[in-house]
Amino acid sequence: MAKDKHQAFKEDIVLECRNLNHWFGPKRVLFNINLKIIRGEIVSLVGPSGCGKSTLLRAIVGTHPPCEGDVMIKPRDSDTARVVTRPGRDRGIVYQQYTLFPFLTARENVAVGLMLDQTSLPFRLFRFQSWRTMKKKHLDEADALLNTLKLGESVNQYPHEMSGGMRQRVAIAQALIMKPSVLLLDEPFGALDEATREELQKMLLTLYGENTRARNEDRTPPYTILIVTHELNEAIYVGDRVVALSQHWDHKDLGLSGHPGATVVYDCMSPVFRPSEAPDFELFRKQREMLRAVAFEARHITDPNEHVQFWQEYDAREGWAGNL
Amino acid sequence: MGKHTMIRRAIDKKKSLMIGVLSILVLMGFYSLVSHWQHQKNPDDSTIPTWTQLGQGVQKIIEVNPRSDERWIVVDSKATMSRLFLGLFFGVAGAVVIGLLMGCFTPFEAFLAPPMSLLAKVPPTAALAVFFVLAGTDTRMYVAMISFGVLPTLAQSIYLAVKEVPDETLYKAYTLGASQTELIWNIILRHIMPKMLDAVRLQIGPAMVYLIAAEMVVGDVGFGYRIRLQSRLLNMNVVYPYLAVLAAFGFFMDVLLRRTQHIFFRWYTHGKR
Repeated sequence: MAKDKHQAFKEDIVLECRNLNHWFGPKRVLFNINLKIIRGEIVSLVGPSGCGKSTLLRAIVGTHPPCEGDVMIKPRDSDTARVVTRPGRDRGIVYQQYTLFPFLTARENVAVGLMLDQTSLPFRLFRFQSWRTMKKKHLDEADALLNTLKLGESVNQYPHEMSGGMRQRVAIAQALIMKPSVLLLDEPFGALDEATREELQKMLLTLYGENTRARNEDRTPPYTILIVTHELNEAIYVGDRVVALSQHWDHKDLGLSGHPGATVVYDCMSPVFRPSEAPDFELFRKQREMLRAVAFEARHITDPNEHVQFWQEYDAREGWAGNL
Repeated sequence: MGKHTMIRRAIDKKKSLMIGVLSILVLMGFYSLVSHWQHQKNPDDSTIPTWTQLGQGVQKIIEVNPRSDERWIVVDSKATMSRLFLGLFFGVAGAVVIGLLMGCFTPFEAFLAPPMSLLAKVPPTAALAVFFVLAGTDTRMYVAMISFGVLPTLAQSIYLAVKEVPDETLYKAYTLGASQTELIWNIILRHIMPKMLDAVRLQIGPAMVYLIAAEMVVGDVGFGYRIRLQSRLLNMNVVYPYLAVLAAFGFFMDVLLRRTQHIFFRWYTHGKR
């Protein structure tokens, strides 16, 4: 891969957390989070319970802005990043629960974003004929997307009539149809059975494959995903980069009296799999053990940056060249 | 109860309907028996009229009254129903606005929640005098009493229903590009609509109590007025049919609202099963 191409990918930062700190009253939760995500990456965010993964995700969504520092997002149609102050259509979100509107069918759930984004309330109320034509277009688009996600048979079902796995697939379609700059997944497969979980993990790998194809064809990779999970195997399997937050690090060198909160203690590339390949967990045993030692064991590492090596690895491998 | 009976075990629709009809027949049989005993003691009794006496009462209600030249049931139904529906309309409209404001915006919640919970505890029938003073004794008074009677409780129900909409649902709508108004109109309102119907359904009974009580005190037409007048004359063969009409009306409204919920909010009624 040409050096300038590698550089161009590296500079296309779609999401950035800059010196982000967060606390709730006297309790410090996040400390000096610095994280840049390149367009087209699938980043897994892991960490022990209570380390602030969800707090960081909420700051990125914009529902709970950080107490200090900024979250910067580069919208798809712009070259300049802007500070996140509230939720917006450039960040799609899929939660573990409550991801669908219960009063809409699968196709309506997927099309609702297009409706909200492309039309206004007065337009829908007073220009009924134009709205009807547009609505049909939106529903057709939703049907097409649901078909690609193998949900063509269930387009007219309500969420309560679908299984958990189907609901999550519809929720992912609902977010994807908006073509967000970043898709945020908050433990999306936590409530699913093993087989459905695996099926959806493979679906994410398919999206990664589309990113790879786009890069090979000199197109902008369409999907940037940040997935929060507590499953280390899942994190390594679906992500091409794993970031870990942890509160178990030694803060005394900074001269702080109380613990300042969790920070990024691990940031490395992870092996990439094809959806057709069966996940060989033995392959990423080493990375899993390292993650466990660095982020999950309460033995207070002295230098939190010791395992933050993503950018060095990226330069050494010339970006995603090895994966293309 | 047999040893195979289980708590909440479902029975089929036909069986359920038959048991329902049986309960009404039992009630009617019991009434016939009590009426029979009463008439054995006093053949001229009018407090527990026989079915024949009741038939005469019904005839009196539906035929043109020679004095007023009107049918009682028609004038009374017109007066009572128009008061009830107008009162409910304004009460529900006000409650929707207040409930939504309280549920969506915290300053409104802080401002309106204390007076709403206080007002909900005042029985409107006890505050009848206040309504006479403020709104006179014409239709306005009945409408105001029903509206203010149902509004605080209904507003609180709507407020709680809005609060039950998960935060994640609202955040999700924002990430799909919804504006504040769209969030309320397209997401919250649709989310709470079936619960709102439930709340309205439960308020029809209290609204009728307020109205009948007010008609009994100051009315010159209407169900409450007629029941008071006829019960003073011990014409229970007129009073009971009026009560039956009120019960039938309440029952019909209940069925209508439940059917509406079932047809338009399938996701809610089926999702609850």
